[in-house]
Amino acid sequence: MNRPAILIVTGAGGVGKTTLSAGIAAVIARRAARTLVITVDPARRLADALGIAMLDGTTNRPTPVPGAGPLDAVMLDVTASWEAITRRHAKPEVADRLADNPYFRAVADRFPAAQAYAAGEQVAEFAQSGNWDVLVVDTPPAEGGIDFFMAPRRMRDLVGGRLLRWLTGARLPGRRIFYRTAARPMLRLADTLLGSALLEEIADFLLDLRALYDGLAARAAAIDRLLVQAKVLVATTDSPGAMREASRFFSSLPEINASPDALIFNRSLPDTWITARGPKGAGVEDAALRENMERWSLEARRNRDARLEMAARLAVPMATVPWLRHPPIDIAGLADLIDRAAGLTAILETVTA
Amino acid sequence: MAAPLPVLASLSVMLEQRLIIVSGKGGVGKSALSVALALRAQRTGKRVLICAMTDQVGVALHLGADRLGYEPATFHGGIQAMAIDRAEALDEYIKIQLRMPAAAPTRALSRAMQVLADTAPGIREVITIGKPIFDVWQGHHDLVVVDAPPLGQLMSYLRAPAVVADLVPTGAVRDQARRMATMLVDPAQSLLVLITTPEELPALETAETLDELESDRLVTLGAVIANRVLPALDLPPERLGTLPDRPASEAAAHHLGLLELQESALSILPIDIRLPYLFGIHTPTEVSAQLADAWDDAL
Repeated sequence: MNRPAILIVTGAGGVGKTTLSAGIAAVIARRAARTLVITVDPARRLADALGIAMLDGTTNRPTPVPGAGPLDAVMLDVTASWEAITRRHAKPEVADRLADNPYFRAVADRFPAAQAYAAGEQVAEFAQSGNWDVLVVDTPPAEGGIDFFMAPRRMRDLVGGRLLRWLTGARLPGRRIFYRTAARPMLRLADTLLGSALLEEIADFLLDLRALYDGLAARAAAIDRLLVQAKVLVATTDSPGAMREASRFFSSLPEINASPDALIFNRSLPDTWITARGPKGAGVEDAALRENMERWSLEARRNRDARLEMAARLAVPMATVPWLRHPPIDIAGLADLIDRAAGLTAILETVTA
Repeated sequence: MAAPLPVLASLSVMLEQRLIIVSGKGGVGKSALSVALALRAQRTGKRVLICAMTDQVGVALHLGADRLGYEPATFHGGIQAMAIDRAEALDEYIKIQLRMPAAAPTRALSRAMQVLADTAPGIREVITIGKPIFDVWQGHHDLVVVDAPPLGQLMSYLRAPAVVADLVPTGAVRDQARRMATMLVDPAQSLLVLITTPEELPALETAETLDELESDRLVTLGAVIANRVLPALDLPPERLGTLPDRPASEAAAHHLGLLELQESALSILPIDIRLPYLFGIHTPTEVSAQLADAWDDAL
């Protein structure tokens, strides 16, 4: 069975990752490749365009996008995924106990890598199904997507990590042994501050969580390999925060032996605006046009400088996507945006080859 | 139906508080606004501390610093700024806030708290949001401005003191958490400022947060601020088609298109203050200074 090509679109929040992912998937599907676009939290309009508006029972189930060739879309529900992870890696009674445990909910809600890891498991499942030639993944919003790449390692650390080993010992001890030895002095101390019942409850939870370790460790390693092989497209705009975030991918992905394959500069302004002047007339309208042109010529200059800076600093192919005055609202518009992006078609051909 | 949230949009009223928590969707300008607020407070002679809660890069940049430490450092001839380091905050929490005697085995306790902080709901958040609250209690500053985590995480921090007070059956941790929750809801001491940009997703997320605050009064709403608001363009849209095709008309069409999106995004929010889009190149320190100045015009 052929492994599908996986494209991961990542970058800071607000740079248009979801729009770009949908557009890229639409363009690839037009070439008759069976394509799945995987998204986490699309804006309403975009979800409508993809036919995946928030409805019960549609999350985690790929559905065909009407009128877009062999294109499917899916919205991930990471809460449901957590439940699935537990059921897959633990005995039913442990999974039941975990599902009801308030600490488990807290860890699932808060531990940022958990959401990203859950998304990773889903992506791995879609990749292994053999139903698609290309997967386009819009990364979760947490921490600009870096979590998505680090999540498998962090999950392994959480479930088998330092804190847990300290509490439970190098090997998984029985509950009674655990309370008699490792935790006693600590529990006595904590008793005055918290009441020991609380800490015992947490220790119970950690022991249950430890039961997930073996299955999860193997699974995490598989997801890790998948992410390392995936092609990574980093999206940015000229906003300083987004550019900082984009640069972070180039410095931190090598830690997991991955590296970005291209940079997509979204919302670029025409260079012709930089030196343009408004009409010279004395009327109110001409004055308004002139003032507006002055403002946008400043913006166009800043925009071009930002593109040049990113291109000089990061040695990867760069595509520029125009800043449209009306954001795309349907599949045709999404594909059109990608068609109008300078350099993007060539990048997509390379990464899906 | 809950009554509408009370709003104290006036800057002078806001600066009389002890604690201002600034939040918004990622990338809308929280750090720039936090620094701008601190600059305004400093101009009225107040001793101000800016506390970067989970990400210090923004505040550091807007103060012109490389990085911030846990110990407050002084900028712009008076504003103090610090970044929360969770290990140090935990240590301080145990030693000072829980008043552990010097002889107590704090290392073991610290490890126990670490396990708690990583698993029990609310503990980590309480330690983090506790730091600026402790600073208010200590009285070293007149005003503490908190550059808080983005909206997605905000409610879990605001809820944390109440959650912990419920979770922990007895002892100093619970008492401390109760005191924090009381301070957060007191409109004479603490308030929340929400920032958005005039774009669809930030505005929607802000509206969702306002709904949550309506049903869960954890803190008083100080103001909803729209940042990077584009100026009006005095040109009837129907004129666009008649203009010769050149950059000036393209730029006008672009601007009018953005204004349409701007109005539809802001129409779902009760905006108290509009701060202008800054065209062209500005360093982060210039941005915060200009926003501090623009605040007057906005009122």
